[in-house]
This record gives sequence, C-alpha cells and structure tokens, in this order.
Amino acid sequence: MTDHRLLRWLRPWVFPAALVGVFEWYARRASALGSDALAPPSAAARAFVGAAMDGSLWQATGFTLGTAALGLLLGALLGIALGVVLGLSRRAAQLGSMSIEVLRPVPSVALIPLAMLGFGFGVRMELAIVAFATFWPLLVLVQSAVQQVEPRLLEVSRVLGLSARERAFKIVLPAIVPRLFVALRLGVAVALVVAVTVEIAANPNGMGYAMMIAQQSFDPALMLAWLGWIGVVGFAVNAVMLQLQRMVSRRMGVQP
Amino acid sequence: MIAATAPVTARAALPANASHPGRHATMQDTPFLRFDGVTIRLGGREILSPTSFDVARGEFVCIVGPSGCGKTTLLRAASGLVTASAGEVRRNGVKMTEPSREVAFVFQDYGRALLPWRTVEGNVSLALEAAGVPAAQRAHRIADVLGKVGLAKHAHKFPVQLSGGMQQRAQIARCLAQKPELMMMDEPFGALDALTRQSLQDELARLVRDDGLTVLFVTHDLEEAIYLGDRVIALQANPGPGRPSLARMIDVKIPRPRNQLTTKEHPEYLQLRRELFAFIEQGHD
Repeated sequence: MTDHRLLRWLRPWVFPAALVGVFEWYARRASALGSDALAPPSAAARAFVGAAMDGSLWQATGFTLGTAALGLLLGALLGIALGVVLGLSRRAAQLGSMSIEVLRPVPSVALIPLAMLGFGFGVRMELAIVAFATFWPLLVLVQSAVQQVEPRLLEVSRVLGLSARERAFKIVLPAIVPRLFVALRLGVAVALVVAVTVEIAANPNGMGYAMMIAQQSFDPALMLAWLGWIGVVGFAVNAVMLQLQRMVSRRMGVQP
Repeated sequence: MIAATAPVTARAALPANASHPGRHATMQDTPFLRFDGVTIRLGGREILSPTSFDVARGEFVCIVGPSGCGKTTLLRAASGLVTASAGEVRRNGVKMTEPSREVAFVFQDYGRALLPWRTVEGNVSLALEAAGVPAAQRAHRIADVLGKVGLAKHAHKFPVQLSGGMQQRAQIARCLAQKPELMMMDEPFGALDALTRQSLQDELARLVRDDGLTVLFVTHDLEEAIYLGDRVIALQANPGPGRPSLARMIDVKIPRPRNQLTTKEHPEYLQLRRELFAFIEQGHD
C-alpha cells in the first residue's frame, strides 16, 4: 500500500531525472572535448548556490516576479473591467470589436522600442509591456465568459432590482470565477514570458538580464542555472494559482 | 372578451383584503392589476391575441393552457421582463415597463435561478441587499422567511446540497424577502415529484393567505390550477379571428383552507375539472 503510493509519487520524476542524467553525461563529455558552450547540471547547481548565497538570485527573481505581477494586475484589472462591459452590452461589443481585432495581434515585444521611448529603461517600461500583453487574453476570455453567464441569473438580478454595479459584483463576477481563473493562469504565464523577454531584449534588470549577462560573460553554468530557475519559478507560480483556485471554488460552494 | 373585461368584485370579501382595509379602499376605482389588450407577437406570428382582464388585490389567479399558448410570456410581460407587442399591464394604475421590487418572480428552473455560489441564506440575502436593507436587519429577516418556507435548518447549505423541492423553497423564500405585493409564479412546481408538489402547494396556499399576497400562477396542470386558484384563466394556442387566446375564465368557489383529499372530492372541484378537461380536449382536436 505505502510502496504503491511511493511509486506513484516518484513516477513523474523519473523522466526529468533521466534527462538531467543524460545531459550531465553529454555536457561533461563536451567540456572534456574543449567546449565552452555547455556546462553539466552539477556545475549549474553550484552556480545556482553561488547566486543564491550572494543575493543576486533573490534580487533578480524579486524584480521579475514583482514586475510581472504588477503588470498582470494592471492588465487584468483593465481587461476584466472592459471584458465585463463588452460582455454585458452588445452595443459596446460592436463598438469595440474592430479596434480590439486590430490591436490584439500586435506582438507585445514589438512595443519594446515604443515603450523605451516613452518610459526609458526600467520598471515602468517592463510594466507597460506586461500589462499590454496580459490585457488582451484577459479581455477576450472575460468577455466570452460574461456572455455565457446564465441568462436566468441576469433576469433574477433585474427582478430583484439590483443596480448595475451590484449586478457586476454580485452576479456577473462570481459567475465567471471558474473561467476567470483559467484566464488568470494564462495571464500569469504570459506575464512571466513577456517579463523575461523584455529583460533579455532591453531592460537591464531581473532574471532575463542576469541570464543574458551570464551568457555574454561565457558562464554557461550560471546561464543554465538561471534557465532552470526560471522554469522552477514558473512551475511554482502556476501551482500557487491552482491552490488559490481550489481554495476559492471551495468557498464558493463547489463540491469536491 | 366581454366576460374577460368584466371587473372582478367577488374577491372583496377575502380575508387578505380585510387585513388592509385602508389600502384597499383607496384602490377601489383602479384595479390592482389590469391587463389591457396585451398582445404578443413572435416572428410575425401572433402568439397571444389581445387579452384583457383584471386581478384584484389578494386574488390567486391561475393561468393554464397548452405549451406555446403564451402563458409564460404573458407573465413575463406582466412583470416587466419583456415588453408586450401591444397593449399594456397596469399595476395600481401605473404602467409596468420595468421589473419592480414589489413584484416577485418565481422561475420554474430553480436550479438556474439560485446563485450556486451563495448559500440558501446568501441567496435570500441578495434580495435584501438589492432592496438596501441595512446589514444589521438582514439576519433577522432571513431567518423569518426561511422559517416560513421550512428551510431554517438548511440556511448554511449551498443549492447543490438541497433537493429540488428545497431549492424551490429557497427561491420562494428569496421572493418573500422582497416583501412583494404581487408574486408571479411560472410553473414553479412543474419539475417536482407529485408528493413534493402537493406539500408545496399547501405551503404556498398558507403563505399567500398569511401574507395577503396576490398571485399569478402559470401551470399546465389543470388540477393544480383549480386546487390553488380563486380563478382559473384558460388560454388556447394558435389564436385567430373568432378564436381569442383567452378561452375561458372560471371562478373557483371552493372554500379555503383547501385540503389535498377533501377539496379534490368536493363536487365543485370535480365539476370544474370536468369542464376544463373538456375544454383542453377540444383544444387538441
């Protein structure tokens, strides 16, 4: 019984462990042959500990996560607000559809030059791009979620005489919470990707920049350490979101 | 049509009216609820031909008819949820264009009309929040209406944890919390099993008598209509020239309180049942 459970717990780790093993073997062989491009995972782990000890790891992680979170907050708030309006009013949806379809496909990183002109290097530029990138998926998903709110509930709100504000906060928003979480998890992923991309391309801060510096100073071990760490951070953030979603849905009466 | 527009005065002696003598006296000239040539057209086809009738305060009016005869739409028009294609509904002389808090609406699909993320208590509270009742008074009023519908012990449960009958009770409780003077009920017991339906019918009759409510009750069940109603309005589908939607209007003079056994053996009940059944048979030829 306990053996069985242990096996089940171990099973997902088998493949990553094998992969790291093969990579270790391959990278060691490559560096033995005189390559500077690859470092074995063991060296990456040592570089990781070094970065963790001197504090640069936490500083850069904090910067990237904080900026991604703030940008997501900004983009999500605007996206949810507009999505609710467009979802409830067909007239507003018609008014906005053209502008949305034109602006939405603009790749968010293509805004880096514009944002640099407007905000210079630093937090504000990255914030603006993350907010832009997360705004669109949130807007579109929230709009479609609102359009699918049980029409009976909207009738109930009319019969009870709820104000527009009460209707949004007491009927529509709670009704879309499950879909909102799907949208937010997507938004979190987008925010992280865009934040790191902006740091790699332009902003001299955060995890992306640290990885670039490691690469440019021929330190593949440190670069790999950052790469692995970014993956771990993304995994952890998603796990936190899942946990949050479970907690919220339990409080909202969803039976386990 | 002549019978339909005739004012209904037989209800004046109802106990519910007696409890509001002053209010009733002032309303003597304008009927409590007046349907004036209400017409419903959908896609160019007339579903409901011009229909006129009055409802007195405290009256329990049942509307029966086959599916597609426009009875639900008539109810929705009367509550302001939809606008009639022609004609108007006046409550206390004022035209109904928008839903009002004095008019409660009990939907048939209780499973969709309750907020699944709120407990029974929270669902009832929604009506009070909408009406701007201060938070301090809500608990007391929630307990009051939940007691009335027999859900006091289930206040903290979510709708999915309740049976269909209990969910419909919760919806009725929410409507009662609005303190309505008029309650619209759209086949409220249609989806319930026979025993649950009977007990809810009796509870509804008691609630309506205690609170002096006026009720418009749509059902496809003739026996339910006769058992509950002071008056039964029968609609027929496919109206046309010489065939108005409002086919029959029957006063039910069976004494109250009614009883599932004795009322249904009452000669008047049997006779009305026969009359309405014959009418429905006719409508299906």
